[in-house]
Amino acid sequence: MPSIDYESAADVTKRLEQRLVGSLTGETSVSRRTVLGSLGVAGSAAVGLGSSRASASPGHGGDDTHGNFGSVGEYQDLDFDPHEFLTAFNTGDSGQDNVPQQVYEEDGRTVREFEFTAVDTTITIAPGVEFQAWAFNGQVPGPTIRAVEGDLIRVKFTNLGRHAHTIHPHLKNLNPRMDGIPQNGPGVLETGESFTYEWIAQPAGTHFYHCHSLPLKEHIHRGLYGTIIVDPDPERVRENPRDYVNYPGPITDDMRTRFVEEAKSRNHEYAENDAVNEMVMVMNSFDTNFDGGNEVYAANTRAFAYGVGSTDGTGNWTAGETKRPIQIDKNERQRVYLSNATEFDLINSFHTHSQFFDYYDHGTTLTPTRKTVDTIMQTQAQRGIIELDYSDHEPGLYMFHAHQSEFAELGWMSFFEVV
Amino acid sequence: MADETQKPTPDGGVSTENEVTQPLGLPRWVSAILPIVLLVLVLGVFAFTSPLASIQSQSGEPLPDVTITHTTLPSDETVVLHVTNNGPDSVTIAQVLVDEAYWNFQVEGAGGDQTLAPMESAQIVIPYHWNPGWDLNVALVLSDGATFENTIVAPSQAPGFSLSLLWTLAVIGLFVGVIPVALGMLWFPYIKTMSDRWLHAVLLFAAGVLGFLAFDAGFEAFELAERVPGAYEGNLLVVSGIFGALLLVQAISAWREGRVAAGDSRASSGLWIAYLVAVGIGLHNLAEGLAIGSSFALGRVSLGAFLVIGFMLHNVTEGPAVVAPVARGERPALGHFAALGVIAGAPVILGGWIGSLAYSPTIGAFFLAIGVGAILQVNWEIASMVRDAGGRVASATNLLAFLLGLGIMYVTDLFVAL
Repeated sequence: MPSIDYESAADVTKRLEQRLVGSLTGETSVSRRTVLGSLGVAGSAAVGLGSSRASASPGHGGDDTHGNFGSVGEYQDLDFDPHEFLTAFNTGDSGQDNVPQQVYEEDGRTVREFEFTAVDTTITIAPGVEFQAWAFNGQVPGPTIRAVEGDLIRVKFTNLGRHAHTIHPHLKNLNPRMDGIPQNGPGVLETGESFTYEWIAQPAGTHFYHCHSLPLKEHIHRGLYGTIIVDPDPERVRENPRDYVNYPGPITDDMRTRFVEEAKSRNHEYAENDAVNEMVMVMNSFDTNFDGGNEVYAANTRAFAYGVGSTDGTGNWTAGETKRPIQIDKNERQRVYLSNATEFDLINSFHTHSQFFDYYDHGTTLTPTRKTVDTIMQTQAQRGIIELDYSDHEPGLYMFHAHQSEFAELGWMSFFEVV
Repeated sequence: MADETQKPTPDGGVSTENEVTQPLGLPRWVSAILPIVLLVLVLGVFAFTSPLASIQSQSGEPLPDVTITHTTLPSDETVVLHVTNNGPDSVTIAQVLVDEAYWNFQVEGAGGDQTLAPMESAQIVIPYHWNPGWDLNVALVLSDGATFENTIVAPSQAPGFSLSLLWTLAVIGLFVGVIPVALGMLWFPYIKTMSDRWLHAVLLFAAGVLGFLAFDAGFEAFELAERVPGAYEGNLLVVSGIFGALLLVQAISAWREGRVAAGDSRASSGLWIAYLVAVGIGLHNLAEGLAIGSSFALGRVSLGAFLVIGFMLHNVTEGPAVVAPVARGERPALGHFAALGVIAGAPVILGGWIGSLAYSPTIGAFFLAIGVGAILQVNWEIASMVRDAGGRVASATNLLAFLLGLGIMYVTDLFVAL
């Protein structure tokens, strides 16, 4: 079995989603024991929400060997699109409409300026399930900032939420006033207060920012976090290659050239970067019932957002409007900037089906810190870069998800559709 | 077991001489007081010599026992925990956890320190910016590392004391208690025209209503008793309250019967029972008021129109229960009706005030228990009233009427969910 087949893929996503939504919305679901005609993936007695036939497509034979399904529906709230978020980078030059930004020179340094606002809002984390969130610019995860090594990142932050907030960056920051903690600089910013944070973009890599107000658990898990990507500067790489590799041996010209090429492919200001399809994923989770454990897990907030839309359970699936696999071009190199914002659990993980990848922990190196793996784990605030190559694969669905089965079944379950 | 031949025992038919002389010729009061004096002496010796000290050191310390009786949220940046030390030893509250995070706090009302003597209560004031509707878990960490926790479910701000709150509760009490009872009493002229058989059925219907209220309040009392600090023995407090009220009211009733036997005509009227019923219902309504008031105090109020309507339907059945005992004989003066209505209905207002201003599970459980005891005695009284009038308490009609009383209360109770 080189890859999972359509049927089981669609099937599993669908059922997990139903189970999750059912468990959260507390709908009295009709439990129906199905007569099992085979030992398929869906062999267990499924809990359906409503009628089984209504959702079966016409022409389907009707032998319910794959269990019963009711439609769970799409996401109705279109304020946030996880598919757009995947590739939304705010560089100062270009970015999202809800993030005012500009780029300019100051003292020979490139300054990338962003306006951030903390607000209290309601987000949708599973179809029909809402969550009261605290959010940077109204979105969870917060906007992805992208800069180049050595740039100055200037964030004009205003707090409009009920609670006091800060922004704390996981960067090498030489000025304690800019660390965004209650004990330093402006401290926490009460409702209505503003402060301008200034950070030098260093080191190259993929980084994390979050609110550092107390209580920490609440301020992070309510949604105040996001990704800062610092692209390596190829010129700096050429001069100081050792800063970018964990390699004690002699560095040949050949190696140096390779590192520079790699740095160019990572730097959004170089043409080489256009050949790579880059995606941002923040693994996050939500405690909806205040018990200190999560009810919903996801990559980029929405449970099963990168799952299949609907299926007849016989291998025919259709992409939904809001729930659909991530389409990728098999001939393009794939890069995922992955970070973990999960609260209440020790670790989260990322596992690809039928595929191995190279992993760069924290993204601070140009050579993989883990080569040829299909599962990596991250603790909260840990992050890294995943490089994938599907050029040898047949077109179709390839699953990726957390390999804590619990997290996968609670929403952190996704697909790439290779075309 | 081998058979044993039983020795015949004396059957107590032996008469002993009645000794009125005290031993050693001491006066009577000495023999009354002597055991007490000796007890004090023994206790003194025990305390000074500690003969059990060696056992104590082997068997370890008594465990600390602290109860968080309830919490109040006076502002959106403050959480107040009301705690009581139930244990036999002093406890020191060393740290406080809020949602599994150490947080700063102040102890008020424990003599200025963080140590609570046995049976001492205090308030722990935590400056914490809580969020309405988001559950909050708090835990006390004692000096020996023991923890006592409490979850504040869906917190919302308490209204605090104000005249407008008292006024609001008075208005609610008026609608929930006084008006429904008064309306129910308007059935009086109709009840007067009933035959004995049907009047007794009405009385038993009233008994059914009261019986339901007794169970309702009883369960509520035991539920509340779980939150009473351990040293106060919540469940036993409720039991004592029930029996205490029952026996107290019964004693008054027995005294009245004595007066009747002595020829006091006033004491023989049904008015007496009507007043007893009113008192029983009044106590129940006091508890109902406590529930309403404390829901205000705890910031858990959901007094929609629907709830008030439910209470009104529920309480309108209490009206006929009050007036049925005076349906025979002379109609009492109108002043009596007013008094009956006020006694039965107005305690809702009083209960609301007590509940909102001085809420504690202990007081709440005790009031509920007193209500249960009073109601049980009233049912006893109604049964004897029917019997005295020559009726049969357990006739088919009466039993069905009692059942109807229970049933109607059950149905109307569905509309009441605080």
